[in-house]
Amino acid sequence: MERVTRTSGPGSDSGPALEFHDVTVAYGRRPVLWNIDLVIEAPGLFGIIGPNGAGKSTLLKAALGLVPLAGGSVRFFGRPLDEVRRRIGYVPQRETVDWDFPVSVMDVVLMGTYARLGWFRRPGSGERALANACLDRVGLADVADRQIGRLSGGQQQRVFLARALAQQADLYFLDEPLAGVDARSQEQIFRVLAELRAAGKLVVVVHHDLRTAAEWFDAVALVDMRLVAAGPTAAVLTPENLRRTYAGPLDVLDELGRAIEQGRRTP
Amino acid sequence: MTSLAGIPYNTLVVAAGVAAVGFAAGVIGSLGVLRKRALAGDAAAHATLVGVAAAFLVTGRRDLPVLLLGALVAAVASLGVLVLIRRFTRTRDDAATAIVLGVSFGLGITLLSGITARGIPGGGGLEQFLLGHTAALTAADAGLLAAVSAAAVLLVWLGLKEAVLVAFDPDFAAALGWPVTVIDYALVALVAVMVVVGLPAAGAVLVTALVVIPPVAARQWTDRAGTMLLLAGLIGLVSAVAGVAASAVVPRLATGPTIVLMAAAIFALSLLLAPGRRRGA
Repeated sequence: MERVTRTSGPGSDSGPALEFHDVTVAYGRRPVLWNIDLVIEAPGLFGIIGPNGAGKSTLLKAALGLVPLAGGSVRFFGRPLDEVRRRIGYVPQRETVDWDFPVSVMDVVLMGTYARLGWFRRPGSGERALANACLDRVGLADVADRQIGRLSGGQQQRVFLARALAQQADLYFLDEPLAGVDARSQEQIFRVLAELRAAGKLVVVVHHDLRTAAEWFDAVALVDMRLVAAGPTAAVLTPENLRRTYAGPLDVLDELGRAIEQGRRTP
Repeated sequence: MTSLAGIPYNTLVVAAGVAAVGFAAGVIGSLGVLRKRALAGDAAAHATLVGVAAAFLVTGRRDLPVLLLGALVAAVASLGVLVLIRRFTRTRDDAATAIVLGVSFGLGITLLSGITARGIPGGGGLEQFLLGHTAALTAADAGLLAAVSAAAVLLVWLGLKEAVLVAFDPDFAAALGWPVTVIDYALVALVAVMVVVGLPAAGAVLVTALVVIPPVAARQWTDRAGTMLLLAGLIGLVSAVAGVAASAVVPRLATGPTIVLMAAAIFALSLLLAPGRRRGA
């Protein structure tokens, strides 16, 4: 089992923030993830890296119970998912929703408060104040009343991040939060994620860009249907590990070569 | 019979009942459209004829509650078949919907023409459920339709937060631990109920329009889900009343076509006049 050791998590938790034990996931009869063993401690910024179709998003969805496990188990703070759902924040991929949907930016961020509100109760002034504060953190306070389709891709991604912040979680899952995002939004998103780490949270990010991975993540897991390697970023993103992860076409390897060069220069 | 300004009392009561149906159909239809379930409602609507005919054949009665109960059973059964086809075959959604719609409608028409051809006593007039005909409705019938509509709207008002989140981002809702599938089934069941209570007014062929056109028209005017539901309700209400009024004035005119044409006219106007020319919902 690969163990990424950090300072131990907060409070009375009986285990690491996130623990995959021998997780296997299949779509129909075709397995997409095999025997994933991974332990991640809070706080930290953790990247899940790998090629397209490697099962990175599936790993997140399996952890959140959105796709069934064919085998193994996932535990959070030493407990099963159902006992800790309110401590988990989630940013799905941007393309999974219809941005023409008739809701405002504020409406979407308020959805982050729904789990605590409970059935049939509507958000009140307390929830609105929290949502406003979350919008402020991602720099979108001035577009709170806008329909979500009228935002840029980067702004839409920040709306999703603000919604996760409104969940006030201890562990955050983000699925490709930088896909199709402008440089300004990218900077802002990573700044907020770093704030979460500073507040003792664990942030797990599915990510595809190796350059930014080397720059931002404390630790990463390389995934290609199996866990190739996991640990501190500099130790894991080696040419050998990357070759084992990306056994893909030549142009991908070329790009990787350049990325590895950059990764070496980053301490 | 009493009357108000020359309009028979019974017509007024029926108009009020059908107006409630139009409002509720617009409200619930909005959620169906936002969840992208408009076609499922169409399959259920066409299946209702089987239920109407079967209920009549089994009970030998043609009271509205009995017939509508049969229609509801058939609508829910057709949705069940749709789910089964989707789960256990590789048939695509649109094809599966077309199959269920076509087969159940064919069966319904066969049963209805059989009843007419054999001249089964009391069987005349069942074909009114094809295109809708409100002239024969009683005040008690209208009361039943209004009561069911009011209950449906109340349910939506209660669960609006849940329904909108599941329609917008089902993955996020599931990650919160919400029973997304149950909420989905509840929504589709509500659409089926609306299709059934809309049956006397709009008929099996056209009742889907009452659930789909007002929401899409309303979407042109607003970017907020709550406002869209309310506007769609009002557009459905106006369309329904127009249908009842037209068939009260013109003898033997079916209500369904007038309702649909009215809703379509409002939709066309909305497309032309609404600010910002927003895209479809």
